[in-house]
Amino acid sequence: MKSIWQRKYILSTWAVIAVFIFAFVVQNEPEPYIIEYPAYFGGRFSIPKDNPTTQEGIALGRMLFYENKLSKNNAISCASCHQQKLAFTDGKTFSTGADGLQTKRNAMSLSNLLWVRNFFWDGRAKGLEAQAVFPMIDSHEMNQSLDVTVEKLKETEIYPQAFNKAFGSTEITANKIVKAIAQFERTLISADSKYDQYLSGAYSPTEQELRGMELFMTVPQPQKNIRGANCGHCHGTPKIFKELFHNNGLDSNPTDIGRMEFTGQEIDRGRFRVATLRNIALTAPYMHDGRFKTLEEVLDHYNEHVQPSATLSPFISDVSNEIDGESLALTQDEKKDIIAFLHMLTDSTFINNPKFSNPFKS
Amino acid sequence: MIAKPYLSFASLIILLLFAFNISAQSTITVVGEVLKPLTLSVSSLSKMKQEKVIVEDRDNKEHTFEGVPLYDILDSAGVTLGGELRGENLVKYILVQAVDGYEVLFSLPEIDPEFTNQTVLLATKVDGKALANGEGPFRIIVPNDKKHARWIREISTIKILFSME
Ligand code: HEC
Ligand code: HEC
Repeated sequence: MKSIWQRKYILSTWAVIAVFIFAFVVQNEPEPYIIEYPAYFGGRFSIPKDNPTTQEGIALGRMLFYENKLSKNNAISCASCHQQKLAFTDGKTFSTGADGLQTKRNAMSLSNLLWVRNFFWDGRAKGLEAQAVFPMIDSHEMNQSLDVTVEKLKETEIYPQAFNKAFGSTEITANKIVKAIAQFERTLISADSKYDQYLSGAYSPTEQELRGMELFMTVPQPQKNIRGANCGHCHGTPKIFKELFHNNGLDSNPTDIGRMEFTGQEIDRGRFRVATLRNIALTAPYMHDGRFKTLEEVLDHYNEHVQPSATLSPFISDVSNEIDGESLALTQDEKKDIIAFLHMLTDSTFINNPKFSNPFKS
Repeated sequence: MIAKPYLSFASLIILLLFAFNISAQSTITVVGEVLKPLTLSVSSLSKMKQEKVIVEDRDNKEHTFEGVPLYDILDSAGVTLGGELRGENLVKYILVQAVDGYEVLFSLPEIDPEFTNQTVLLATKVDGKALANGEGPFRIIVPNDKKHARWIREISTIKILFSME
């Protein structure tokens, strides 16, 4: 009969072997990544079950985001039009694509995309995985089929290995490219602006910032002497983003009909997705066509130049600081106050976060 | 100048055309946990039994909203209401969505006359006239809600869903 010590010895040998086998088998398992965000953002988002967010997937997605080989002329990456220092915009009215021609609309800022369900200015792409295909194949953007991209990446040293780490096989497919990019984009969370610090009690705003914040969030009620700009109706919540589609009165007869092009519904004429105002001081020029160069011009628009039409939002046309007023009727100082608040939304941690920067330059 | 009034007349016509198109073209759909999905237009709704509710709107004035009780619409789609509203059907909810992406939620008992005295209305008219652009063609009126955040305008979809918790 084996002694109790012998038995223990055999058992622990088995345990050691088991651990080795386990470690070997799971070596290729990518490590799950926990997405962190402030509780006041809320958890209303869903990550596709077939594309869990992992460390290795994000790393690959980041490489692809900065990869020029994704474009026909090998000169353009996602980051050409979505530059981190400009909160992932490019500072241009329209961007120039791999065919040398210009995009139809202004490049959008990429932040807190986890909470977006319908992408683009007109909401035509459902989900980040579906969205990523558009810029890759659009002739005025990267102008290259996914098949060609797959072939180009196969010929590289680094990518088969990176795909192996992220998805457990060196095989490169269009589907995996899109998934990895989406994983990286989900991590682009901006939640450390002065406004966030104010929400968490770590920053006390100036008098002007407080006045601006109050005006931004308040519906004006001139009968009760309550002044406001009603921006929060569309741009509110602590995320400073609501997924809504509105016509904010840029044109009476818009050349770009916006969401109507996608839905075919007359009621959507001139409606565009309400853009996030996070990092807004960094993302000029403004609106889907980059028509406004400054935030001052934006405030002048909402205050003085709203254009009437059948689809103009009543939350703009029916709102005024004067009884029966025709326009918003903010004072010059109030406009400045709101702009001061908008500057509170700049998040320097986000635009300097080394996790989002070009992995090929270190 | 001559050009100006001419131009604004033209844009008025264009505006009127759009306005007409919006209500003529618009429909709402009733989908999800229904026996019979519905697509309703202003004219198909006008053939159902109409009811009126007199309520104060945001302007603090009384208005008469007219339309079809939400109960009747869901009932005709075969939603589990009345005697069937028990057991697991009590964790179904109504998600109402507008064209601008705004969404609000009701539980089934909130609109069922066996549970409540209020009539939640799918309104198409106010004070005898079609609802204005930006408000209609379809709007929900919830008489007992003091705050009007669920009086959702420009409705496009009504979904009946199960809570999956
Ligand atoms: C040539 C410039 C250009 C390139 C390259 C480019 N984009 Fe964009 N991006 C745009 C423009 C312009 C829009 C807005 C387009 C629209 O709404 O029609 C946009 C919109 C987006 C959006 C939508 C954001 C939102 O809030 O809805 C995402 C996400 C995005 N791009 C990601 C990417 C990714 C990922 C890549 C690389 C695969 C990429 N872009 C490459 C110009 C570019
Ligand atoms: C009825 C909804 C609504 C209201 C109210 C509203 N906005 Fe907007 N806002 C929009 C929409 C829609 C867009 C995008 C429009 C487009 O590009 O065609 C937008 C775009 C913007 C942009 C440009 C974003 C970018 O990335 O280019 C800024 C800045 C802005 N709004 C600020 C404000 C301020 C300040 C107020 C209050 C005075 C306000 N908005 C009120 C709907 C609204």
